[in-house]
Amino acid sequence: MVSTIRVVQNILDANERIAANNRTLFDQKNIYVINLMSSPGAGKTTLVEKTIEALRGKYRIAVIEGDIQDTVDADRVAKLGIPAVQINTGGACHIDGNMIQQALSSLDLDRIDLLICENVGNLVCPAEFKVGENAKVMILSTPEGADKPGKYPLMFRESAVMILNKMDLLPYVDFDMAKAKRDALKLNPSLAVFEVSCRTGSGLEGWVRWLGNQIESFKNRGRE
Amino acid sequence: MHEVSLVQSLLDLIEEQRKIHDFSRVTSITLSFGRLSCVEPQTLGFAFEIQSQSTVAEGAALHFDIQPVVLYCFGCTRDSRIEKFPADCSWCGSPEVVVVEGTEELRLVEMDVE
Ligand SMILES: Nc1nc2c(ncn2[C@@H]2O[C@H](COP(=O)(O)OP(=O)(O)O)[C@@H](O)[C@H]2O)c(=O)[nH]1
Ligand SMILES: [Mg+2]
Ligand SMILES: [Zn+2]
Repeated sequence: MVSTIRVVQNILDANERIAANNRTLFDQKNIYVINLMSSPGAGKTTLVEKTIEALRGKYRIAVIEGDIQDTVDADRVAKLGIPAVQINTGGACHIDGNMIQQALSSLDLDRIDLLICENVGNLVCPAEFKVGENAKVMILSTPEGADKPGKYPLMFRESAVMILNKMDLLPYVDFDMAKAKRDALKLNPSLAVFEVSCRTGSGLEGWVRWLGNQIESFKNRGRE
Repeated sequence: MHEVSLVQSLLDLIEEQRKIHDFSRVTSITLSFGRLSCVEPQTLGFAFEIQSQSTVAEGAALHFDIQPVVLYCFGCTRDSRIEKFPADCSWCGSPEVVVVEGTEELRLVEMDVE
């Protein structure tokens, strides 16, 4: 006998439950978490290094690196004397709640104020998988072109911040900045946009200030 | 490639349902998602065909209910249903618009079982 079962459930419910558990733990430990996403080579690891330089005097920082195979990025961060955990995504094109949960056992959660999770380089999938972050931060670099919000809308929709990186290359590439911003804001009017160059350091202070403010209001939450 | 993860999660959901409803075969599955949510029906269907082998969902037909993209215009306050993003308001042409529908996540809506 055939019957119809009405379900109406988010396919990624199971991941969202794990991410919510991570979030509860981060709240208990007072850890502000960002999920950093971009195409390969847009500048995630470089931004992580610059952010560490700018904020290490003020906050205890740790990094989780989600690369498909090697440990190059984790090594770059570890060189700065910052706890860095490499997670093996087993070929997966994104990190998920479960991978982060497992990586946490290698970190001393009582000694972290800011946890940066560098996602796998990919503009599609990472946007779908929550890890327990406070904010998703994405990077779009100028050589990639301004058509990306139209092609990968979910990433722009889900992010709290869009960092336009490699502004130093603007004179050499054909990047329609007004279009990139306009289309991104159509998807997400509350998106915070920072134009930076991780190479020259220009514009980074705006990003660092934003992040510092977020961490402060997170720490002071529930306290009026 | 996220289709592999999505299909695995779908098969897990079906297994959860099987524990509740006790069926032996799924004949048809309806999924819904917003047009802008980066789900590729063909790739998903292909992944499903392979990953569902020797599960209760093997051979089930997949149906996709794709939700359209709707823009709200701050200029004229009307909604436009659009085929392609990016776009401007289809009533007054203003670029001051925001996507209000079309990014819905992938959901399992219903399934026929026996
Ligand atoms: N010209 C220029 N190159 C940059 C900038 N930021 C990063 N890069 C370079 O881009 C390449 C990829 O950077 P990386 O941080 O490894 O990217 P990831 O794959 O997103 O982690 C490296 O060679 C960086 O030195 C920038 O602002 N300007
Ligand atoms: Mg990197
Ligand atoms: Zn209008």
